Amino acid sequence: MLRDTRLSGEDLSRIDEKIRADWSVEEIDFEEAVAYHDSLPRSKQFARVLEDADRPLLQPRAGVPRLDDQITLLRHLEDAGRADLLPTTIDSYTRDNEYEKAQRGLEEARESGDDTLNGFPAVNHGVEGCRKLIESVDAPIEVRHGTPDARLLAAVTFAGGFQSFEGGPISYNIPYTKEHELAETIEHWQFVDRLAGAYTERGVTINREPFGPLTGTLVPPSIAIAVGLVEGMLAATQGVRSVTLGYGQVGNLVQDIAALRALRELGEEYLPDDVTVTTVFHEWMGGFPPDEARASGVIALGAATAAIAEPDKVITKSPQEFGGVPTKEANAEGLRTTRQLIDMMREQDITLDGVEREREFVEKSARSLMDTILELGDEDVAQGVVEAFETGKLDVPFAPSDSAESAVLPARDDDGRVRILQFGDLALDPDLRDVHTDRLDRRARAENRDRSFQMVADDVDAISEGRLIGRPGGEGA
Amino acid sequence: MSATVILGVIGSDAHAVGITILEQALSAAGFEVVNLGVQSSQSEFVSAAEAHEGDAVLVSSLYGHAEQDCRGFHETIEAADLDPLTYIGGNLSVGQEEFDRTRDRFREMGFDRVFDSETKPAEAIAALKADMNIAESEAERARLTS
Repeated sequence: MLRDTRLSGEDLSRIDEKIRADWSVEEIDFEEAVAYHDSLPRSKQFARVLEDADRPLLQPRAGVPRLDDQITLLRHLEDAGRADLLPTTIDSYTRDNEYEKAQRGLEEARESGDDTLNGFPAVNHGVEGCRKLIESVDAPIEVRHGTPDARLLAAVTFAGGFQSFEGGPISYNIPYTKEHELAETIEHWQFVDRLAGAYTERGVTINREPFGPLTGTLVPPSIAIAVGLVEGMLAATQGVRSVTLGYGQVGNLVQDIAALRALRELGEEYLPDDVTVTTVFHEWMGGFPPDEARASGVIALGAATAAIAEPDKVITKSPQEFGGVPTKEANAEGLRTTRQLIDMMREQDITLDGVEREREFVEKSARSLMDTILELGDEDVAQGVVEAFETGKLDVPFAPSDSAESAVLPARDDDGRVRILQFGDLALDPDLRDVHTDRLDRRARAENRDRSFQMVADDVDAISEGRLIGRPGGEGA
Repeated sequence: MSATVILGVIGSDAHAVGITILEQALSAAGFEVVNLGVQSSQSEFVSAAEAHEGDAVLVSSLYGHAEQDCRGFHETIEAADLDPLTYIGGNLSVGQEEFDRTRDRFREMGFDRVFDSETKPAEAIAALKADMNIAESEAERARLTS
């Protein structure tokens, strides 16, 4: 039965053998891999670089199928974008464990020169390919993906020299896939985290980063925070000692700053003392304006938020976000826009009204969800979170997964803060629910319409259309 | 008449927001909607079109792999002896390709209409009504929803 307990060494080897049968991967020698990590310079130690920084570090998203192209891309982001931390985004076939299809895409890319995959198929490139990438750039690189069963990807990329790995059993299941059972993905990620823990015990700290933005669309902060806390706790049980909790920009300055502060405080509180907690802020993950100048405005608002809230890391967006994978030049532009704002603003002492009140509200709401999870699992967080999703007491809006109720629907209030329009069975205390309902009623009155699904649809499109709140009357109203 | 629309996200793609909103809009416009959800295979689209006598199949894709995912789709539909309208919409190619080029490519593959990711539900609904010869009058609308 699923429990939040540490996997044994035997479990680790048994699973390792089994997953390598999924695709012909050479035998991985753990001792040799540890020695390889030890040979890397301090500047490539991901956790050290992140945890020692005295300002928010910038990291873009980037992944192309061919190794040479990925090297060129990352070097460009280092040189032209001055990225502090680098990413390697994995393609969607690998995320589905479809290594055969990824291989075909990679071969097509090699033949045609076109990017026929939407990312870097790291398992197909193998340990050697990963190491070549690590050695070709100066900054540390994180694996960013969206893989429900990331065991083989973790085994290959950890041995390949990567020291940071995004995702988790909830954040890479509920928003990313339809049919994976939550209990099953928790078991799979226990292996990933245990493997990270095994490296950590040998002095190679592997940083783990739950994916904060979830479905990326108007996710209420308390839900994102609860999911991050649960994944951080599960990782800590397996021996992970460096956890970066994430949160995605919703666009209301006060709410975003409040949420980032709540995230850090609750992270310190819920995660064990021997875990170093850092935070990451994702620039807007929803629909972007098609016009690059306006897209830069969205990016700049994210940067301004980061300058005030000072997360440890910012994941940047590019002005070409609207049209799919950006060119490397556009990607570097997003980094530069973000840095300009942060460097101009972070030395100013800016105090905003209402941040404390909103932070308290976010914290109370996240605690309400966490109390329910721990109670349902009788203090076992793994069992509790499975039960919570099954009953809808924890839920994520717009979740494609059959493992979530997806009954929660968010909408913005009259101030642009994300509130909850439909709660489903979400375990929020009644007095907290009333705040959401009151705020949305106020907006409905201001717009002279009823609270309805139309508000949700309008809000989903609002930023790409040039506004924050989806007011009636459409574009420019 | 009550037209039936099969709706889903093809391939490994898990972007659910768009079809959630489209489903609501299509239902409100009077269509019978069969929403297959995310990560639906070609054969799931075809079986649903067969089982529900779908008049139109609406394919959504946002992650850039649409071309690979749709290869052979129209041959499979034909082999099942079906002839629904087929639309596709979203971010249909990896990278920053001109949309006109993308549209031509997917039209050649057999899609009746190709939409970019800026398309509003109302536009797709108007296209469906035009292609199915459903009149736009108030009376028709009332009959449709009844």
